[in-house]
Amino acid sequence: MKPIRRRFPWAFLGKRLVYGALAMLAIAIINFFLLKLAPGDAAEALAGQAGTADPEYIAQLRAQFGLDQPLLSQLWAFLTRLATLDLGYSHVFNERVSTLILSRLPATLMLMGAAILIAVIGGIVFGVTAARYANRWPDRAISFVALLLYGTPPYWIGLMMILIFAVWLGWTPTSGMENVLAFHTGWDRVVDIAHHLILPALAQSIFYLAIYIRLVRAGMLEVLSLDFIRVARAKGISERRLAYRHALRNAVLPLVTVVGTNIGNFLGGAVLTETVFSWPGVGRLMFDAMFQRDLNLLLSILVLSSLFVIVANLIVDLLYAIINPTVELK
Amino acid sequence: MTTPILAVENLQISVRKKPGLLILRGVSFTVHAGETLAIVGESGCGKSMTSLAIMGLLPDAVERTAGSVRFKGRELPITDNRAMRKVRAVEIGMVFQEPMAALDPLYPVGKQVLEVIEEHEQLPREMAWKRVIDLLTKVDLPNPEALAWSYPHKLSGGQLQRVVIAMALACNPDVLIADEPTTALDVTVQAQIMRLLKRLQRDTGVAIVLITHNLGLVAHTADRVMVMYAGNKAEEAPTRDLFLSPRHPYSRGLLDATPNPERAAAGGGVLREIPGTVPSIADPMPGCRFAPRCPNASDLCRARVPEPTFEGAHGYACFHPVARETLT
Ligand SMILES: Nc1ncnc2c1ncn2[C@@H]1O[C@H](COP(=O)(O)OP(=O)(O)O)[C@@H](O)[C@H]1O
Ligand SMILES: [Mg+2]
Repeated sequence: MKPIRRRFPWAFLGKRLVYGALAMLAIAIINFFLLKLAPGDAAEALAGQAGTADPEYIAQLRAQFGLDQPLLSQLWAFLTRLATLDLGYSHVFNERVSTLILSRLPATLMLMGAAILIAVIGGIVFGVTAARYANRWPDRAISFVALLLYGTPPYWIGLMMILIFAVWLGWTPTSGMENVLAFHTGWDRVVDIAHHLILPALAQSIFYLAIYIRLVRAGMLEVLSLDFIRVARAKGISERRLAYRHALRNAVLPLVTVVGTNIGNFLGGAVLTETVFSWPGVGRLMFDAMFQRDLNLLLSILVLSSLFVIVANLIVDLLYAIINPTVELK
Repeated sequence: MTTPILAVENLQISVRKKPGLLILRGVSFTVHAGETLAIVGESGCGKSMTSLAIMGLLPDAVERTAGSVRFKGRELPITDNRAMRKVRAVEIGMVFQEPMAALDPLYPVGKQVLEVIEEHEQLPREMAWKRVIDLLTKVDLPNPEALAWSYPHKLSGGQLQRVVIAMALACNPDVLIADEPTTALDVTVQAQIMRLLKRLQRDTGVAIVLITHNLGLVAHTADRVMVMYAGNKAEEAPTRDLFLSPRHPYSRGLLDATPNPERAAAGGGVLREIPGTVPSIADPMPGCRFAPRCPNASDLCRARVPEPTFEGAHGYACFHPVARETLT
C-alpha cells in the first residue's frame, strides 16, 4: 500500500522566482519615483526636528545622505544596494536599516500570523457549522453576525474593542506588545504577549473572518449538493465524515486561494492596527519613516513587504497543489 | 413462494408540504434473490425517486407519504438517515448515472473503495486494502495496484463506473440498484458495463434492479421488466412476455419506439414515437395518466384510474389492453 509520489515542480518554482524578481524590481523603481514626488525629504525633517531651517545645514545633510545626487544615480545606488542585500543606514533612527526592520519584523509577523489563523480557523469552524445547519437558527445567527462584521469599518471595530475589553472590562491591556517593566521571562512572557496580542489580532482578523465564513459556507453548500456526496452517502458514510472529509476539503480550496490574495491586505492592515494598538511592528516603523521623510527606510520596507507577499503567494500556490491533486503546477 | 429479498409496497412520494403533488402514486414490486428486475419508462416517470427512496436518500424537497420498503421481510427505516447507514452498501448497493461526478476529486479511487469497507467492517488495513485491489481486479480494471492510487480525473468514464460498481459491491450486498448505469457512457462501453454487471451477478448472486429508459438494454439482461409511467406502475412481466406481447398501450408504444432487429426482420421495424409528453405531477387528472397520449383511451380512462390486472406473472393497469398477439 504505497501512494505514488508526485514530482516536485522545480520548473514552476524557477519560473515563479524569475517573475517574482522582475515584479520586485518594478515595485522598487515605481515606489522610488512615487516617494520622490512627495514633498520634503529627510534632511528637511531632521533640520526641522533640530529646530533650524538653515539652508546651509540642510544642504550639508543632503550631501551627507546622498540626496543632492541626480535622481537616476540615487535610484541606481538604491538598486545596487538592494541587490547586494545592503539596505543602508537610517540617519533618522541612527541604526542600520536591516537591523531596524529585523527588530520590528517578529512583532508584525506574530500579529499577522495570529490574525490569519483566527480568520481561517474561525472561518472554517463557523462556515461549516452554518452550512451543516443551513437555514436553521445556527446558520441564521452566524450569517447575520458575519454580515454585520463585514459591513463595519475595521478601525472602528478596533477602537470599540479597546473601549469595551480594555477600558471598561479591563480584561486586556490597551496597547503595546508586552509589559516590559514586569521583566517576565519564559512562559510568563509568552502569556503576557498573548494577552497583549489578542485584541489587535482580533481587530485585524474580523473583516476577513466575516468573508471567510461566508466563503466556506457557500463552498460547503455547493459541494454538499454535488453528486459524489450522494454517492458517498449511498456508501453508508456518516454525515460528519461526509462534511469534514469530503465536503470541507473541497470547499476549502477556494479559501486557500483567497487567503493567498489577502496576505498583502493583512500586511497593509498591519499599519493601521499597529498604529491603533501601539504595536511595535514594521507597520508602525513605516508610519514613523513616512513622517520623518526617511525615504530609504520607507522604500526598503515597501520592497521587503513585496518580497514577503510574493514568497507567501508562492507558498500558498504550492500548498494548493498539495491539497488539490487535479492541478498541475507548470 | 419464497420471501422476496426486496419488496416495495404501495410506495407513495409527494413534494414536501404539498401532499397533492404526487411523484410516486403507490408503486409496488418485488425483487427475488439473484434475479434482475428492470424498471423502464421515459425520464420523469419516477424511476430515480423509487431507487432513492429504497436507499433512504430522498432529496429534502420530497417525502414518503405512504407505503413501505421491506428487505428480507423486515421493514426498512427509510426516513431515518442514521439507521439507513447500516443498510446502505451492506444490504443494498447503488450505482448512479454520472460516473464522472460520482467520486470525490481529491482522493485516490482506491481510497474511496477502502472507505466503504472501513465504514462497515472491522478489518486490518492491509486486508481491507487487499480486498480493494481484489475488487478492482474483479471489475476488469487494468493494473489495479497502480490504478488504486490514481485520482478520478485521470480515469475514463467507463473506468470510473467500474470503480463505482466495485464500491457498491465492496461489502457484498444482496441487492444492487443501478440507476441508468450506462446512460452517460459511449455505446461500446455501455455493452461492456452491462456484461460486467451480468458476470458479477453470476459470481456473487446479487439481485440487480436495473433502471433505464432504454428498452433495448433490457432484452438480454433482465429477468423481469416493470414499466413505469408518471409515478405509476403501468405493466410488469417476465422480459420475454413483455417483448412478445405487451398489454399496456404505453409499453407497446415504448417497444415501437425502440430499434429491434427481430421485429425489423419480421417486417414490423418502423420506429414510432409516442406522441405528446409525460404529464406534470401538478396536472390534476382524475383518470389514467397515460390517457391523453393513448390510442385506446375512452371516457372511462379519462374518468377512473385503472386497477392492476394480473394474468399469472404478467400484470398491467389498463381498461383497454393491447390484444394478446404473436409477433407482427
Ligand atoms: N427535488 C425535487 N422536488 C420536487 N420534485 C422533484 C424533485 N426531483 C425530481 N422531482 C420530480 O419527480 C419526478 C420523478 O423524477 P425522477 O425519479 O428523477 O424520474 P426518472 O428517474 O424516471 O427520470 C419528476 O416529475 C420530477 O419533476
Ligand atoms: Mg432518473
